Formats: sequence, structure tokens, C-alpha cells
Amino acid sequence: MIGLKGVLNVIDNTGALRVECINVLKVKTRLKSTGTATVGDEIVCVVNKARPIPANEVIKNPSSSTNIQKIRKGDVRRAVVVRVKKTVQRPDGSVVRFDDNAAVLLNNKGEMLGTRIVGPVAAELRKSKGGAAGAGGRWGKILMLAPKVV
Amino acid sequence: MRIEKCYFCSTNVYPGHGTMFVRNDAKCFRFCSSKCHKNFKMKRNPRKVRWTKAFRRANGKEMVVDSVFEFEKRRNVPVRYDRELVATTLKAMERVAEIRSKREKAFWKNRMSGNAAKNARDAALSIEKHIELVQPRSSTKSSLSTSTIEEKEKIREKIKVRAAGKKAMALQQLKSANQSKRSNKQSRLIPAEGGGMGMSLD
Repeated sequence: MIGLKGVLNVIDNTGALRVECINVLKVKTRLKSTGTATVGDEIVCVVNKARPIPANEVIKNPSSSTNIQKIRKGDVRRAVVVRVKKTVQRPDGSVVRFDDNAAVLLNNKGEMLGTRIVGPVAAELRKSKGGAAGAGGRWGKILMLAPKVV
Repeated sequence: MRIEKCYFCSTNVYPGHGTMFVRNDAKCFRFCSSKCHKNFKMKRNPRKVRWTKAFRRANGKEMVVDSVFEFEKRRNVPVRYDRELVATTLKAMERVAEIRSKREKAFWKNRMSGNAAKNARDAALSIEKHIELVQPRSSTKSSLSTSTIEEKEKIREKIKVRAAGKKAMALQQLKSANQSKRSNKQSRLIPAEGGGMGMSLD
């Protein structure tokens, strides 16, 4: 249940720590559409808190760092929700709840910005279709990188 | 599909029931009901909450060490379906349940064994302590007025003597029960020392 102003933790290594949702990329007027984001939904968010970038690193080798574009506070990015606090009902009848709301940052093409993920992600990410064939749906890379899919 | 155990109260969680909570270190907690979930959220320790299985086990209210518990275990080994095997398993389950209930009954009986003597002693003690409250049985309103104080005292003395006798008897019973318990350390009914409950029946 992530809507406008919803705050999420970022669990990849892009340098962002906390983001705030400013738009949920969904057709909200459609029947049965809630307009709030849950696991697997894409959102637009603004970075509220980011890991500080050491000044010398930028000067020394700007090209060799793993992320070409460092994330700063105030950046507007797309992200995908990977964990939600609100209970999620699964097709087999089980109900799952996580400890916090968490997201992974994306670039404008919908690919992951970071290269690592820390912490578990929800198995609902498998449901979303699209992406490269055989990669496990649109979020196959996230599922691959996550230490645990619950 | 699996039948899980509730993290808080240890009852069975059947498919489609309860909720699962996933902590950020990826540990899963399953709950049978919102009651257990709420108690968990209140950070209560299941070993300190009296209605949970964990409490009952920790405080000697239920059998802990027994071979019947070996059957109900998480086994992460897939087994190929076999009609015969399923049939025998079902049969065995029934038998195991039967044995288990028998042993639990025996355990309960053993746990409650000292209570009768204890209650008798307590009753005798309370009579001794509050002898002035004890009224003779025949002291209805009419007889109360007629009976003299002397008579009452007499009856009270009688009751006192009887109570003292009962107390002594109860004490002796308790003592003997304790002694027999101590001497019966190898008894199959006392789980405390571990390994006491063998597999052999009866």
C-alpha cells in the first residue's frame, strides 16, 4: 500500500537510502485498480536520504566507479516495490507481511540501477510479465540478485 | 502443502490459515491467528505466556522427552509417492496417536498424584488456624441460643483434634509420596532426567 508520500527503504547499492513516492505508475481509473503500489509495482520517487559521496572519489576517478551516476538527495527516479508492510494474500491462501516497505531503484528503461541487493524480497515479483525471455519475468534480475526470495 | 507450527502457541497452521511475517533478516514467523500475531507484535515471550505450548513445556506441565515426538518432525527429504507406504503411514499415525495419548494421560496422573494429600493438609491447616470461625454443625439459629458457650468450646476442641489427626495423616502421605518419587527416579513417567521414556509399551 504505497501511495503519494509513502516512504520506502532502498535495498540496493545505488547509494540512496530512503525514497518518497511521488507517483504510482498504474492506471488508477481502471476497475479494481487501487491506485496504490504493492510488491512488483513501479513508482516514481524522490530520494530523501542518500549515502554521502566522498569528494575525493569524484575527482580521482569519475569513470571507474560502479555506478556512473551517483544518486544524490533530491534525485527523481523510478523504482520497483519489493517488500510491503501491508499483508499480501497469495493464490494458495497464505498471507505474508514484511517488516518494512522497500524498493529497488530503476533507470528510465526499467532496468536496475544498482548491482547488489541486500535483504529478502517478496516472491510476488515473479508474477509480473515482460522483460527478457527466460529471465523470470520483468524483475528476473532482482530475483536473481536477492539473497532470499520469500 | 505443509502443516506448519505457530511460532507463538505451537498449534498447527493449516494451509490458508494465519499469516506469515518475514523479518528483514529473512526469518519467517508463522502465526495461527491474529491473537498470536498480536502477542508477537507486543514482543511477548511465548515461554512466559501461560496458554502457550512453550510455557507448558518449559514449566513441566506436559511431556517433553518422549519417543512419540520423533515421528512428527520436519523432514526436508522428498519421498516418491507409494500407495503402500501411505497406507502403512496412516496406520502408524493412528497407533502413535494412541500411544501418545496414553502416555500423556499417565504423565498427567503422575503430575497430579500428590495433590490429594496436599489439599487435605491445607484444609487441616486452615481449620487449625481459624478454629474460632468453625461452628458446630447443629448450630442452627434455635440451637445456637440454647447451647452454652461451654458446649461450643467442647465441640471446637473435638474438631481441632480431628483436624490435627488429619493433618498428621496428610503429612505422612506426602512424605511417603515424595520418598517413593525419589526412589522411582528411573520411572518411565518422570521425563526430567531425559531418556526415561523408552520406546517399549506398557
